[in-house]
Amino acid sequence: MVNRNVVKVLSFRYMILAAIFILLAAGLVLLPKYQKHEGIVPEKLLSNAINPQRYISTDKLADVLINQDPSYLLIDVRSEDDFTKYSIPNSVNIPLAKLLDDDNKSYINQDQYNVVFISDDNFYADQAWMFGNRLGYKNLKVLKGGVNEWYSTIINPPVPTEEMPANDFELYNTRKAASMYFGVAYPDQVAKPVKVEPKKAAPTQVVPVKKKKKLPVEGGC
Amino acid sequence: MKELEKTKRISIAAVLTILVVLVGILSFKRPKNMYVVDTKKALTELTADTYIIAQKDVTEGTELIDIRNQYEYEKGHLEGAINIPVTDLLTDESINVFKTKDNIVLYGNTPNDAVTPLILLRQLGYSNVKVLAVKNSYDHNKLITEPATIETAVADIKGFIDNSVKKAEEANAKPVIKEVKPAPVKQVVPVKKKKKLPVEGGC
Repeated sequence: MVNRNVVKVLSFRYMILAAIFILLAAGLVLLPKYQKHEGIVPEKLLSNAINPQRYISTDKLADVLINQDPSYLLIDVRSEDDFTKYSIPNSVNIPLAKLLDDDNKSYINQDQYNVVFISDDNFYADQAWMFGNRLGYKNLKVLKGGVNEWYSTIINPPVPTEEMPANDFELYNTRKAASMYFGVAYPDQVAKPVKVEPKKAAPTQVVPVKKKKKLPVEGGC
Repeated sequence: MKELEKTKRISIAAVLTILVVLVGILSFKRPKNMYVVDTKKALTELTADTYIIAQKDVTEGTELIDIRNQYEYEKGHLEGAINIPVTDLLTDESINVFKTKDNIVLYGNTPNDAVTPLILLRQLGYSNVKVLAVKNSYDHNKLITEPATIETAVADIKGFIDNSVKKAEEANAKPVIKEVKPAPVKQVVPVKKKKKLPVEGGC
């Protein structure tokens, strides 16, 4: 009796196996929903965020601009108004709110350029970086201190005082030269070409004093 | 006989496969931290939302979180603040804090330090997180907290550049040329030395 039942069940064994497989397959379809992550995992994003290597200094940026390095793409995430008021040369304006629009994504989603985010400080630029980094975009950078730092170091560099080390003077000279490149004029710089050569002091005329020749003693009579 | 062996093998293989899949499913663990909000939504939320809060607007029952490292926290921190360094942001303990509290305000030395944790937490779905607009510094080991402005232009750069050009032009228009007058040449009057004439012999 028992034997017959077992045989009955066993005759269905392929069907049962098939049913189990179909169930499991259905389960697998459901699984990816849970682990679907857009971009990199949060732990990785956090460790990337802690790493200060994403910052680029204003001096480096000035160097890049002056040497016309074609591998850098500057993206200004401030509002349009601020951008028209002043922008770092060669930068592209993509306001932060529009950063992830499909049209603008192509600017940041590529690996040919180093993308530098710029805002007034690095508050908004960091936000842009966080979103870009989560999506796994490569070569994203943030201008440390943003446009404000750009102003206070490159455009209007602080004049070193006398007791400062020579390095500071060199740095100041470099920055001053850079600021001239970006359109700042200095009075001493313009005055230079018209610098009047100080007139040469008229050479003193040397009047040779005729030495009276020693006359041989004139004899008297 | 041969037929039977074949079916046996198939059954064994099938059972093993099912076992493997079952073990896989059972041992599957959901990652601890999951993004709840995608980037686009998080961005629109952030641009629409006021996530910056001034110190005077902090109300009772708000959890202040000091995201600086432990050393700085122990040196001085805001009253009632707890310390979660940025590096420990995603540990179970800290996640628990974000889950249980209604209002959370992050602060660091500058608002800039708090922005990356903010963005991360927002994307993990903690929309109760805000940033305190303060700047912290030390004066003789005493914590000084000042209100900070966020993202305001410090200067009118275009104006500055134009101004510098104008100034330089002005300086150029009437260059201050100091005529270097040649110092009057001192006339050297050679004093004629009277030569001692040899005694003229008289008669």
